[in-house]
Amino acid sequence: MRESKISKCASLKRLFAASLLAAITVGGTFIANSARAEDGVTDNEILIGALGPLTGATAFVGGPARDGLQLGFEKINAQGGINGRKIKFIFEQAFSPAESVAAAKKLVEDHKVFVLILASGSTGAAAAADYVRASGIPTYNIVGGTPIIRNPFAKNVFHGAITDASKSAESLAELVKDKLKAPRSVGVLAGTYAFPQAELKGVQAHLKGIADKIDLEQFDQGARDYTSQLLAFKKQDAGAVVMLGSFSEAGFAIKQASEMGLSNLVWVLAGTAATDGIIPIISPNIPRDVWSYSFTPFLPGQKAPTMDEFNALWTKRYGAPPAGRPNLYDMIGYGSAFVLAQALNKTGPNLTRDRLIAVWSTLQDAKPSNLGGIDVTYPESFSETDHQGNKVRGQAHIVNGAWVVVPNTNH
Amino acid sequence: MSELIMILVGGVKIGSIYALAALGIVVIHKATRVVNFAQGGLVLLGAYGAYVFIVEMRWPYWMAYVVIPAIVGCVAVLIEIVVLRRMRRGDLFPVVIATIFLGIALSEGYRLSTRAEILSVPSFVSTMPFVIGSVVISPEQLWVTFGALLAAAAGIAIFQHGRVGRSMRAMASNVRGAQLCGYSIDRVYGMTWFLGGALAGYAGVFTAPVRGVSSELAIATVAAAFVAAVIGGFDSLIGAVAGGLILGVSETLAAAYISSAMKSAISFLLLFVVLAIRPQGLFAPKKVRSV
Amino acid sequence: MFNVARHRPLFIALAPLLSVVAVVGLGAAVDSYWQYVLGMSLSAMLVGSALVMLTGYARCITLATGSIMAIGAYASAILTVKSGMPFAAAVIAGAIMGGAGGFLMALPSVRFRSHNLAMVTLVFQEVVIILLREWKSVTGGAEGLNVPAPHLFGVTISNDFIFLIVLAVGTSVGLLPLSILLQGAFGKNLRAMACSEVAARAYGINVKRNLIAAFTISSFAIALASALMAPRLRIIDPDSFGILPSIFALAYPIVGGTTSIWGGILGGGLLRAMPEILRPIADYIELGEALLVIGIVLFLPGGIIELFNRLHKIVTRGHFVKAGKLPDFISSERPPERGKLCSGENVAWAARIEELSVRYGALKAVDQVSLNVRQGTIHGLMGANGAGKTTLFNAVSGFIKPSGGSISVFGEALDGLLIEDRIRLGVTRTFQNVAIFSGLTCLENVKIGLGRNDIGTALARSVHGTFDTIRAREESETAMRALHSVGLSAYAYVRSELLSLGNQRRLELARAIVSNPKLLLLDEPVSGVAEEEVSKIHELLRRINRDHGITMLIVEHNIGFLASLCDRLTVLNHGRVVAEGEPKATVSLPLVRDIYFGEALVA
Repeated sequence: MRESKISKCASLKRLFAASLLAAITVGGTFIANSARAEDGVTDNEILIGALGPLTGATAFVGGPARDGLQLGFEKINAQGGINGRKIKFIFEQAFSPAESVAAAKKLVEDHKVFVLILASGSTGAAAAADYVRASGIPTYNIVGGTPIIRNPFAKNVFHGAITDASKSAESLAELVKDKLKAPRSVGVLAGTYAFPQAELKGVQAHLKGIADKIDLEQFDQGARDYTSQLLAFKKQDAGAVVMLGSFSEAGFAIKQASEMGLSNLVWVLAGTAATDGIIPIISPNIPRDVWSYSFTPFLPGQKAPTMDEFNALWTKRYGAPPAGRPNLYDMIGYGSAFVLAQALNKTGPNLTRDRLIAVWSTLQDAKPSNLGGIDVTYPESFSETDHQGNKVRGQAHIVNGAWVVVPNTNH
Repeated sequence: MSELIMILVGGVKIGSIYALAALGIVVIHKATRVVNFAQGGLVLLGAYGAYVFIVEMRWPYWMAYVVIPAIVGCVAVLIEIVVLRRMRRGDLFPVVIATIFLGIALSEGYRLSTRAEILSVPSFVSTMPFVIGSVVISPEQLWVTFGALLAAAAGIAIFQHGRVGRSMRAMASNVRGAQLCGYSIDRVYGMTWFLGGALAGYAGVFTAPVRGVSSELAIATVAAAFVAAVIGGFDSLIGAVAGGLILGVSETLAAAYISSAMKSAISFLLLFVVLAIRPQGLFAPKKVRSV
Repeated sequence: MFNVARHRPLFIALAPLLSVVAVVGLGAAVDSYWQYVLGMSLSAMLVGSALVMLTGYARCITLATGSIMAIGAYASAILTVKSGMPFAAAVIAGAIMGGAGGFLMALPSVRFRSHNLAMVTLVFQEVVIILLREWKSVTGGAEGLNVPAPHLFGVTISNDFIFLIVLAVGTSVGLLPLSILLQGAFGKNLRAMACSEVAARAYGINVKRNLIAAFTISSFAIALASALMAPRLRIIDPDSFGILPSIFALAYPIVGGTTSIWGGILGGGLLRAMPEILRPIADYIELGEALLVIGIVLFLPGGIIELFNRLHKIVTRGHFVKAGKLPDFISSERPPERGKLCSGENVAWAARIEELSVRYGALKAVDQVSLNVRQGTIHGLMGANGAGKTTLFNAVSGFIKPSGGSISVFGEALDGLLIEDRIRLGVTRTFQNVAIFSGLTCLENVKIGLGRNDIGTALARSVHGTFDTIRAREESETAMRALHSVGLSAYAYVRSELLSLGNQRRLELARAIVSNPKLLLLDEPVSGVAEEEVSKIHELLRRINRDHGITMLIVEHNIGFLASLCDRLTVLNHGRVVAEGEPKATVSLPLVRDIYFGEALVA
């Protein structure tokens, strides 16, 4: 008698729990569902989505990319938009592969964006790339260098400012060859996480022909102590160190090297370290030879009229910049916005995804100044079989406390 | 040989910071039985405080070593009063959970409050190395090592001697008895957390120029501090310090002579070996049997 | 007529599947993005439920959830990609490997508790991730592994809703055994163990083995959840399974509720979907979750499920019987079964303690004590504090290893026998500080007393309980009878911690006699009990001894109680027997009076 009362109440309780769970998710669905545009194009709007990391170890990529894209799209809208339509820009945060797929699905299936921008490096972009290859939506990969995004080739995926990691590896080897006289003993310092490992294979391959001795040392993501690795380099009398890691990791390695008496090394850093955030870490004893490659004609800390203009524009929109901002990804985001806008513009008022893809594959020499922007990125050109927009990599060097792109060294 | 010395010097330097962080955990555990997983978050707070103090406010560097630990100590007391006091009666399981997530809250709170990826703090002494024979040492290494160990020694001295320390040890040994002797739980626990927080603050000020201030500092520090504390013996103050030094040195040695990619794996395997062979820790006090 | 009450356990076991069905139903109404999210929620519900078993019931803080998920995902992905194994088989294989991983992790871990246990799991977590990262040829290393869309029955599943259904089926496969075990004897044993290890061991619950089982079973489920989800993630990399995801997985049972599978379902489902629902404030999610956990731990320690429980109590007021004063005895309506103990006229020794010694260094806590307890009698043991009676007691019940001498019970030697195995020889005990299993009802407490608690039996009993078989009902009846004989049958379904101290002592007694023990050890049964209850317990013990013929050895300070209760009394002082014999006479001995009342011997 009491037992059936318990059972009724108990199963009521269970039902309640299940319904609450359902109600919350449904409620969440309705709350979270914002603008739903048909195919991403309406009479007066084009819906553009982007995903990238705002948190986690690569937050210095996603946040700035978003800000740069925003800056670019606002400028384009201020000038009248694209063939009478204004750009509506949605950014979804995505760090891990799981989040990246979720963000891509949300943008494509929920918000129904017309174009998708990947402002994510490494594993996140790789996961999203898999999804977009299957879905066929026009996709613009602006910061991902890892080969997984590029192979296999997909006709709806276009790549922007940053080149394939294997090509970047070639640049690093070239820098070693350029700045260090033979015989060359080279140390390679690589992070054990995804993006340095992606570059590592290429670096080791290209260094084989150039260096007589190569010593590989690795470190965990976020490492700050390089005592043993640097001692190994010292033991083999390394003349140059190729550093594959983030700017903070590179910074502490360089700093510690000078503390250990290794002050004459030639440092060759992967592109992600070529940001002014490294400067406070390695000050005041900045070595003479800290090199990297650059995907843009200028770097943010560089004294050049173009950069002054860009920094002023950024500050006007976002206020006084915190340390290390605007950085490379602010610039790439900004420049990419204009490339995309030109592709959309060229497609004309009858906007469909297939037409955009076809037109994009013929876009030549797309640069920000074509649409009134500041040329902080190289012009991008595409063809039917070559979807890599920018192929230029220049040398970058720390001079007088800031990264500058060395002129006339593009290849 | 000189290479070995340099490895040892480097290992001892990072080890002394681990030692300081581990000591804070052990002090709190000895007196209150609480395992403070939020210690890493407190170290981060100390490091950030050092940044604000030295870089933003440009106040005298030496004062940071006095002011910051005090501030972090107060924050720790606040945590004890606001969060942990309510849970004092019950079993320790929810307390451990609470401190784990407190640590996360602290590091997330830090990350949200600053837009910078990493904050740099200059070193207190010169970083230009001097050479002894073929051994290269920098003054900064020596300063961090000795400074951290000195702070640790002071912490141990406070706990082992002095009125304040006596009350903590009394509480650790027998709560009811200590209360009957006139010690107030609230005051003693408060002081213990202050001491533990201050040690974390010191660790933070020493860590800031060495590692920079970023949110990963919290988890990295607490993991290392815990490994150090367990290796040394969770209830031994000397053990915490020794454990930190052992961890720092073995990590660096392993990275140099075994594999730099497996550096953290080695420290965890060391932990495992210690737990397997001598689970109470290498420096644990002799077990006293209750009759 | 269909008996709802009879099948109640089965309904309760199947009820979690309702939530799975509800999620699928919801999925039919939303677009493919939300179907994706709901799929993640299903996977997380399974993880949450598994963690309820490990972290909620067994109270193990595990920091290795990520690594177990990694094993499940990588194993099934690699098997699919490299050996073309069909999806369903690969998922099961991944789950089994995850279970094996949990087993390996548990072996060294279960020596420890609390933070040391957490540290060992942390070692496992970090080492597994590093191995996955470095074993590049197989796992793709840090860059990750591409997981292709699954093939099921020859069809490639790319539709989100179909996948949701596949996930639902897979999740149910994991949820059902968890549900059966959590509500059954195995789950009860885990909770008992977390409550009082000492009492659990005394009733045959081998703590280490149970912890290993809990780790293995929950790891199986966690790996299953992860293997199911892997194709949806498209790329799996070691970083996704690191220490932070492990810590946030802990939040599932804490936020949802640690006391039932619904906590895991609610916590997992909600927390996994939260970052997607709250995308606009994505930046603040982790901080929010951390604060939520702290808030729950402080203000709602039972989790969200607790809210439901409270609502439920408000709705059905006075549903359970409040603990009141001690009821009078109900003399048994059914003549109690007399055990085989009482057959025969031979004087049998229930327990023989010969020359028992326990030494701590130079201190002789028990010094060559010999004591024989006659079958069917009540034997008292008394002595001043530090006389060694507790030590002696603990040696007999197995909690202390003697330094010399021997103990045998009904002819069987107890030497070296594990605590957990003593119940099989018919030795049960009560505890000085009442060691009932709070959180369990009185009936559940007593059922544990039956002693059928080794792993295999516990697992089997869980299944029996769900299907309400004859065996399960027999157990309940036996337990009810024991409760009846101590006068607590009205409290059968009341949570044991709600009882008064006196009632709790009775409960301990019921637990101790339900297995029809040969020897019952009572450790200060009336310590801290009010005056009028002392006499009631006196009567109760007499009755139990008379009706069931259970031999008792009682340690007690209350001399009046003890002397009037027992048939024979032994007095210890400084670890030695100083007097033994008929109670009243023994108590009047001048030596004894000197020890107890300080009446000095006239020199």
